[in-house]
Amino acid sequence: MLAVLSWLALLLVNLIRVFGENNQMEGLISKEITWILEILFFIWLYIFFNDAIKKNQNRNFIFFIWRAASTGLMATGTSFLIIFFYYLLGDSRLSEDPLLKNFFYHVNFAIVSIFLISTTLSWKHLILYQKNKAIVQQWQAYEVILLISMFFILISQESFNYGFMFGLIFLIIYGAILSINLKWIPYLTFREKWKSILFLVIIIVCTVYLFFRLVSYTQQNIHFVNLSENLFLLGLFVFVLLYAVFSSLVTLFNLPTSSVFEQKLTEAISFQKLSQSIKPGENEEQVLDILMDSCMSAAYVDAGWLELYPSEPEQTSKIQLQKFISNGERQEVMALLKKVGPFAAYFNGQSNARTEHLYGQIPHEIYKSVLVLHVSVNKKILGDIFLLKEVKDSFNKEMINIISTFASQTSISIENHRLLNEAIKNERYREELEIAQRVQRSLLPSELHHNDCFEIDGFSAAADEVGGDYYETYRFDKDYFALIIGDVSGKGTSAAFNMSQMKGVFHSLVQLNLPPKDFLSKANNALSRCLEKNNFITTTYYTINTLTKEIHFARAGHCPTLYYSKEKDISQFLSIKGMGLGIVRNNGYENYLEEGYLKYQPGDVMVMYTDGIAEAKNKDNQEFGYDKLRQLLDRFKSFQALEIKSKIVEEVYDFVGRETLPDDDYSILVIKFKA
Amino acid sequence: MLTINKTAEEGYLIISLEGEVDASNSVELDEVIQEALNEDIKKILVNGHELQYISSAGLGVFMSYLEDFKENNILFIIYGLNEKVMNVFHILGLDQLMTIKDTKEEAEKSLHEA
Repeated sequence: MLAVLSWLALLLVNLIRVFGENNQMEGLISKEITWILEILFFIWLYIFFNDAIKKNQNRNFIFFIWRAASTGLMATGTSFLIIFFYYLLGDSRLSEDPLLKNFFYHVNFAIVSIFLISTTLSWKHLILYQKNKAIVQQWQAYEVILLISMFFILISQESFNYGFMFGLIFLIIYGAILSINLKWIPYLTFREKWKSILFLVIIIVCTVYLFFRLVSYTQQNIHFVNLSENLFLLGLFVFVLLYAVFSSLVTLFNLPTSSVFEQKLTEAISFQKLSQSIKPGENEEQVLDILMDSCMSAAYVDAGWLELYPSEPEQTSKIQLQKFISNGERQEVMALLKKVGPFAAYFNGQSNARTEHLYGQIPHEIYKSVLVLHVSVNKKILGDIFLLKEVKDSFNKEMINIISTFASQTSISIENHRLLNEAIKNERYREELEIAQRVQRSLLPSELHHNDCFEIDGFSAAADEVGGDYYETYRFDKDYFALIIGDVSGKGTSAAFNMSQMKGVFHSLVQLNLPPKDFLSKANNALSRCLEKNNFITTTYYTINTLTKEIHFARAGHCPTLYYSKEKDISQFLSIKGMGLGIVRNNGYENYLEEGYLKYQPGDVMVMYTDGIAEAKNKDNQEFGYDKLRQLLDRFKSFQALEIKSKIVEEVYDFVGRETLPDDDYSILVIKFKA
Repeated sequence: MLTINKTAEEGYLIISLEGEVDASNSVELDEVIQEALNEDIKKILVNGHELQYISSAGLGVFMSYLEDFKENNILFIIYGLNEKVMNVFHILGLDQLMTIKDTKEEAEKSLHEA
């Protein structure tokens, strides 16, 4: 809009000047105003087209070339229209009128400026394709030079003096340097290249024509204001022309190699497709399909197929993705392959040499050259790709290289896919195990029954996520308690299952209020029907009566209870005869049991534990041992139950070493009698 | 680490255990005993001189064959256990069900007596 205004102002001022000149009225309006208006016109045009191009930045290259060409055609067309108009006027007086002539000169000048500036900005877009810092700086310098050249007219009105010539030559050289930035050309397809050559030729023709048209105006006319002998305009003429010529020539020479470039581009895209790891929802077959297509297009293959080897020996190979070949032909080729050249050894299973590919010729009536490629995942051959071409010796080294790269990329993709699936599966197992862990934690009591006559405290830790140690208390009435500690043979998940069975058995039988020996005998009966042949459970069952201060207990193969007697001031193991639950699975079990009995006194301490504690090993493979446990109780006997427990656990961990992972479940229960 | 050696002596088989029997390798011990049963060997001695440790899983293996030994009239005698390992058998009560001797001579003697 501003450009139009400045052009109108320019027109007006110049017409007045011409009018004044004709009527010998010098100095009506000074020449400088013309120049300034001209400069303003250029600048507004430049800004306008710069914005217009920016809006279309993501269009393809052809769009920009077409834009320039169409503007050129429009300018040329307008110029022709003016000539046609004068032709119509014939020899009338009007045709000699200097004002009218000047008006058309201005129109011509305006459309030439529009064409040159918009084309220059199109070239700018093309030059700055794949720009780096140096090119951007070069262009910015060029813009500054152009700006200076606009103002040149203010300094020296005399055209074609040394200064003008020097500036023009400088602009030509600089424009030529910029014109070698033609990086966009290789990205054109073959068709686009032809198109762009056509458009560029149009631009060249228009430019040349418009140039001569302006020159002829200058020569024809005496009474007119010279706008075209301007350094800026001439510089642009040269630049537009040079870039168009350069581009068209380079495009022309690029034509024969364009198919190669397109090929490379497809390969790059194929490679990218293959390297993206398989997305969820896609499967390995889709990747193999991409691989097959990529290989075929990379080497201009005529036919091919993929043979997938069975993952299990009893299955047969599967033929997949058979392309451009019939079953019959495939079998013919296969039969030939087993006889010929480098393939025979491989397909007859004689050769164990795992080369990446096999390449050779076969005497088939259609297919002459064959490339066999192994697709392997995790060092295991997944299958072979067979690629056939109708021409002899037609797989060159580059094709084989690129195909091998495709194949190895595919392997990586499939491997990643499998690993990912496995990771997801493992994650699920881990979650399941975490649930099991939570469930099992809840099997151990959070609170232990007791009354004011004794303190009780317990601790349990599993070597694996879940463990087989078990303890529990039960309260018959305010003075009468039952207590059990147990250890299931083995460890981990199977032990945890058996432990939950033990808990069930405990809660069923404890209500019967049986003497310990009968309790264990019944528990053995029940568990003998539940436990696997080589599983057993060791346990000790206690009943504690705080009224009579009596403890009854029986030991089913469990570690002997450690007992500190205040009266004797001695810690010792309560060794009574016993037998693990589930070992003797008949009525004779009772005979292996013995029932223990003792009367406690305030200050006595009872320590119940599992073999994980007694058999805990340090890094030198030494066992913690029963003696050490006894000595510890002697040291800590006067502490409270909680402290005794904590001290013992601490000692065990110190002995094992913090870094060593425990290899068995640890559990401990401590009772301290107070009254 | 567990190494199992089998030596066929006159009229009986000696299974020598060396190292530790735990949950991870108790299957090996199980296989060896099962093999002996399959071969219909009636007299089996287990040499425990070099046995450093046995876990509950290992004891479970012996335990699971007690019934089979009884049914098939197989003499199964363990000898040479060190004090620590013997204690493990004792605590569990297995010493009440199995014949455990101190030395090879004693074990052989009880073979002949039977």
